[in-house]
Amino acid sequence: MSAAIFNLNHPSNTVHWHFFSMSVSNVIVIVLMVIVFAFAILAPFPGRSRKEPTE
Amino acid sequence: MSGTAKRPWTGAVRERAVGALPPEKLLPDSQPAYMASWIYIFGVLSLASLVLLIASGMILSLQGPDWWHSSGIGHFFNSIHLWSVELFFFFMIVHLWGKYWMAAWRGGRARVWITGTVTFLVAIPCALTGYVSQQNFDSQWISTQAKDALNAAGIGSFWNLMNFGQMYTYHVLLLPLAVVGLVAAHVLLVRKHGIVPPFQISDEPPATPAPRPATAEPMP
Repeated sequence: MSAAIFNLNHPSNTVHWHFFSMSVSNVIVIVLMVIVFAFAILAPFPGRSRKEPTE
Repeated sequence: MSGTAKRPWTGAVRERAVGALPPEKLLPDSQPAYMASWIYIFGVLSLASLVLLIASGMILSLQGPDWWHSSGIGHFFNSIHLWSVELFFFFMIVHLWGKYWMAAWRGGRARVWITGTVTFLVAIPCALTGYVSQQNFDSQWISTQAKDALNAAGIGSFWNLMNFGQMYTYHVLLLPLAVVGLVAAHVLLVRKHGIVPPFQISDEPPATPAPRPATAEPMP
């Protein structure tokens, strides 16, 4: 069995801030989702500019 | 006795199905121009992840839940299964955010929104039963912890997290069946009602979405 890229043989790291408590891996995934969401809203779609609706 | 011949139910079902979803709506060859945005791709990305998820799960089920502990091939398909469910939830949540801020229930699309939301809710226990099917110490720990939660909620006598057979059946049959059925209904409803148009920025009244507008773009 191949080893993991990261050393996983320890308890997970946790982000604590007042009442907020979440594992670092979950925080990373949520931040990634927010970045992807912002990209999907703001980034121009290929070919969109030359096919704007004329109505 | 009436003289009229009794009509077969199959004909009535066919007429109703074709009336609700004519072929040009079921398999359209064009979409409104406003679909040319990245935010509209996360639904199909969720679908692609679900296909990969189901396929890898079916391969894993051929050899049983402990196959991946002793076989490199089993470990490979287990990893495919894990990462496809990670992507499924990732894309589904971004899809949900996009549709929420678009108010995708507008224009008679309440059932589209409801089926999508219920799919998300059903997918959560579908994934959690996978965690308790791993056949390792992790799954033992999760099942004993979750057992206490269900007992505290008063439903532990029916859903017993320590009953591996029950959890495994839920994971590989009942809940995936529900997810796939809900996704199929969701996609058919999207085909029926069309994708939700964006909000109008100007003061002009919003245009009624047509199934094949003049500015439609051909589908790739």
